[in-house]
Amino acid sequence: MRWMWIDRFLEFQSGRRAVARKNISLVEEQMDEYSPAYPYMPASLIIEGIAQTAGLLVGERSGFKDRVILAKVAKAALHRLAKPGDTLIYTAEVADIKRDGAFCNCTSHIDGELQAEVELVFAMLDDRFPDPIFDPADFLSMVRIFGLYDVGVDANGQPLQVPPHLLAAEQARP
Amino acid sequence: MRFGMLDRITELVPGERITAERKLTGREDYLADHFPLFPVMPGVLMLEAMYQAAAWLVRVGDDFEHSIVRLKEARNVKYSDFVDPGHVLIVKAEIKKRDGLLTSLEARGFVHGASAVSCRLVLETVQMDQLAPDRTMLEPWARKQMRDKFLALSTEVLSRMPVSV
Amino acid sequence: MPTKADVFEKVKTALIDALGVDDDQVTPEATMVGDLGAESIDFLDIVFRLEKAFGIEIPRSELFPDDVLTNSAYVAEGKVTPQGVEELKRRMPFADLTKFEQNPVVQDFGNLLTVNDLCRYIESKVGVS
Repeated sequence: MRWMWIDRFLEFQSGRRAVARKNISLVEEQMDEYSPAYPYMPASLIIEGIAQTAGLLVGERSGFKDRVILAKVAKAALHRLAKPGDTLIYTAEVADIKRDGAFCNCTSHIDGELQAEVELVFAMLDDRFPDPIFDPADFLSMVRIFGLYDVGVDANGQPLQVPPHLLAAEQARP
Repeated sequence: MRFGMLDRITELVPGERITAERKLTGREDYLADHFPLFPVMPGVLMLEAMYQAAAWLVRVGDDFEHSIVRLKEARNVKYSDFVDPGHVLIVKAEIKKRDGLLTSLEARGFVHGASAVSCRLVLETVQMDQLAPDRTMLEPWARKQMRDKFLALSTEVLSRMPVSV
Repeated sequence: MPTKADVFEKVKTALIDALGVDDDQVTPEATMVGDLGAESIDFLDIVFRLEKAFGIEIPRSELFPDDVLTNSAYVAEGKVTPQGVEELKRRMPFADLTKFEQNPVVQDFGNLLTVNDLCRYIESKVGVS
């Protein structure tokens, strides 16, 4: 099971707002026997998809130099079940980003209807954890696959640029 | 159940509380992505483990009548430590309030005796004839599957309990 | 300008939302860590909510003087020195440090912050009528 709980970014405004799509399929591992009569997407994985949407939005603000991790789910309200064949649209908005953390207000919609509301607190890993958590070239590949740089725009509406340190790592790949 | 987050249930007081555990073996696929250079149990799976334990407690309480006991709300899910490969997450959930189909619980996860995560949960027991009437005929089969899963998780607890499931 | 009561109400709301405690648990004397169960990650959440509620910025070091508490010039054998305590008082005029001063163990510092200390900090930033 890959740990990728969004399929693609639809919108990515640096430092402000991101929208991602997640298609739910019966063939995904977590569907197997989870709810025999009525397979549905576990709430925890919806929260994770939302956290990935918001976490990448927060991380991009520092050119992905900050290591952003989920520190607290302040609130998650799931209004109804999401089932195979549904497409979830996750929207994350930055309420605030500081040096040591960020707060995001997020939602999930199915067919234009509100399915979940989630408030997330992220923390930036500090010097107690000195090592990187991602290989920079692999990380860049992952966000490229998510389409972050296909739709990403900066504060002026200009196409988002890949941070030099990630490009360098990508180019140094054998 | 591929997404079963519990290895076994070690304590169960019907209507009150449950204790269960999960060992992060280190062989889990998702660790390759979370994170490649710092493998740890994803926070949402710590939440899922607490939710699943709570859901078993609720199902035992209504004698497995409804196969779906969904997570309706999670609040103040705060993470204070990581679960590293090779370590065991012990989850505990306690019922605080019941209100019709809704059950409110407090849950916590421990690693090496120290709290790693805590939260408040609201679970909703779902009536299939309200959710999807044309699936109602599957409920007896689904009930049995859930009961069997529970039995497989609870062998050591049931041998101590007078309650029949 | 808000009144002291206004400040207390908004601080109480922020604490209830961030910590999930009940209304009656949030008394002026309640300690954030001991009585209300605040953990380190909660402080981030609380700061975000207070900044939003009062329209102010709360630099972390104003509430959590980590730089003093980890400075070898101010700490000896796990306790804050008299100079260190003076520095803390200077940096945090809103906090009542009399209890801490009696046994200034570094580890205990975070545990002593009360709801009242937080309210007085906010009052010092927004001004009260």
